[in-house]
Amino acid sequence: MKFKADEIASVIQKEIEDFRGEMQTNEVGRVLEVGDGIARVYGLSAAMAGEMVEFSSGVRGQVFNLEENSVGVIILGDYKSIQEGDEVKTTGALLSVPVGDALLGRVVDALGNAIDGQGPITATETRPIEMMAPGIAGRQPVTQPLQTGIKCIDAMTPIGRGQRELIIGDRKTGKTAIAIDTILNQKGGDVICIYVASGQRDASVAGVIETLKEHGAMDYTIVVSASAAAPAPMQYIAPYAGAAIAEYFMYQGKHTLIVYDDLSKQAQAYRQLSLLMRRPPGREAYPGDVFYCHSRLLERSAKLSDELGGGSMTALPIIETMEGEVSAYIPTNVISITDGQIYLEPDLFFAGIRPAMNAGISVSRVGGNAQIKAMKSKKVAGGLRLILAAFRELEAFAQLGTELDKATQAQLDSGYRMVELLKQPQFKPLHVIDQVISIYAGSQGYFSAVAVNKVAETEQELLAFMRDEKSEVRDKLIAAGSLDDETEPALIAALDEFVARLEKTQEPAAV
Amino acid sequence: MAKNEELQTDVKSVLEDPSATAVARIYADAFLDACGDNADDALEEFGSFLVDVLAANPDFDRLLTSGIINRDDKIKLINNVVAPVGSELFTSFLRVLARHDRLELLPVILGESRFRHEERSGRRRVQVRSAVALSESVQNQLQQQLSQRFGFEAILETSDDPELIGGLVIQVGDTVYDASLKTRISQLRDRLRQRSLHEIQSGRDRFSHPEGD
Repeated sequence: MKFKADEIASVIQKEIEDFRGEMQTNEVGRVLEVGDGIARVYGLSAAMAGEMVEFSSGVRGQVFNLEENSVGVIILGDYKSIQEGDEVKTTGALLSVPVGDALLGRVVDALGNAIDGQGPITATETRPIEMMAPGIAGRQPVTQPLQTGIKCIDAMTPIGRGQRELIIGDRKTGKTAIAIDTILNQKGGDVICIYVASGQRDASVAGVIETLKEHGAMDYTIVVSASAAAPAPMQYIAPYAGAAIAEYFMYQGKHTLIVYDDLSKQAQAYRQLSLLMRRPPGREAYPGDVFYCHSRLLERSAKLSDELGGGSMTALPIIETMEGEVSAYIPTNVISITDGQIYLEPDLFFAGIRPAMNAGISVSRVGGNAQIKAMKSKKVAGGLRLILAAFRELEAFAQLGTELDKATQAQLDSGYRMVELLKQPQFKPLHVIDQVISIYAGSQGYFSAVAVNKVAETEQELLAFMRDEKSEVRDKLIAAGSLDDETEPALIAALDEFVARLEKTQEPAAV
Repeated sequence: MAKNEELQTDVKSVLEDPSATAVARIYADAFLDACGDNADDALEEFGSFLVDVLAANPDFDRLLTSGIINRDDKIKLINNVVAPVGSELFTSFLRVLARHDRLELLPVILGESRFRHEERSGRRRVQVRSAVALSESVQNQLQQQLSQRFGFEAILETSDDPELIGGLVIQVGDTVYDASLKTRISQLRDRLRQRSLHEIQSGRDRFSHPEGD
């Protein structure tokens, strides 16, 4: 692209003509010492907690500690450029990030600077990264579903708009995969997604962005990245920056989904800063206010009242556990703040059950109200938990090698089929009605003639059949959103037809 | 002599320890309170003790600040050496410092005492930086204006810094009033850069040639 020189010149000329230099008034101090991402500053007697300060090298910082004789500052940028004795100025402003539509599809760092090589961001508005969460009057109960497109989650731990649902599990159990699938499933919908990477490997963040681009999800997604290579202060503030970006849309009445990947790394970054600042260490050497660090962040997720526009911010915080230890400090903290958790287990993951969700201890405390009627029905998700619990019990019993009567064996088989049915490949989110059809067919025994290892394949056939040949039944279900006197018989008829056809195609093979 | 004194009492370097300064401020306040109206004389005696006694006899200085010698011996030393010549008040002050192991803070306390004394008598130091050295009349004018504006008598500490290009930078306490040409130019530069970027990003078509790249 070429620029018209005279056009730019006129802009510059106008700006110079309008320029009135103002006298700058600042509080100043001097750097006493610099450490990994922090500085102690002498002076700045009028600095306020959380205020943004500027070092003489142009790097910004945030006032973190106010002590009797000095001020502790966290450095948001290259701390190696700062030297002992440098001048530090207060700015009188809080740390803010640019917000708005200009950010959609972009990758930014924790301060809102573009890092995707597509030029600077021309947002007209900014928002302080630390904002008070909406109060009681500003909220309303969570009643609207946020479809993740993942069968076991939408059926058993449904997520509502404005909810905070924790994804917790060991490393490499598919935590990020669930979050990414959820983002992919918002395609064509009205939800703006924000993916915050804090302390993640740059390679994995690049992989996530690549996946989102491939599936056309970047159009409605913003990525905030403070990777493992970024200084600890950036990793610490990245989730707050992401929340500020999401809040802007929420207060405009839009729906947003924000993924914090992951909060255990952010807590570690915060621990590093706090220890360097000589704040007293507590349990696991985390500072005493690490709970508040997460609670004030997650409280910003809300479903706003209609007077405030009815926007929402759904949060999917991610926590990585060590060897399944959920009773460690940070996991228990975040479990107690969130409205439920999806617990992923390595044993299930390696047994091929993916998503590796442990249905027994995964819960959603408010999402049930947000489930659509068809899914909530006793014949679909309503009974699913019980079926699976009974199956787990039977399975343990069957492993003892006892002979089983026919009824028990049948129950066991249907359990195996159900587990098989709940498996779902990555990046293949399903429409909620397709999920309802699958689970309905599974729990009502329509797959009982299908071999366990063929269930997934048959499910695909069923869904294709419903889409291509019985689209009127499917459309009606989508429109009604519930299994009533009209839609349920139609669904049963369609399923009967499918089973009959299945038998027909299988017979010649059996001969 | 005066230069020597300046070095000792007014350590304007980052090596200055803020917690030591805070402690020194407390002793300085106490000292000034004890002096009452004779602060000027007392401060003169204090200064002369540092310059004429300690600086002239480094061994004595080392004795007083050394950790090997215990407090009682230090107090005895003070009684023998300072008491016969010094004022009662100043000797007692030294004894108090010795009892609290704070003798090594003496230079800092003197600096703080002077600073606090000026503040109490309605005078404050104001650092003025300018591109070229200020003439006497300009300095007087500035002093008058500062006094009117802030309600205290300003003691100007001027320095010239050609990097400012023009204008003045005035520092009162921690607050800096920056009216230098250098800052204005950098303000303008930031504004221009931001504005041009904004124009370019928000209206790419307007700046590009119709015939394309």
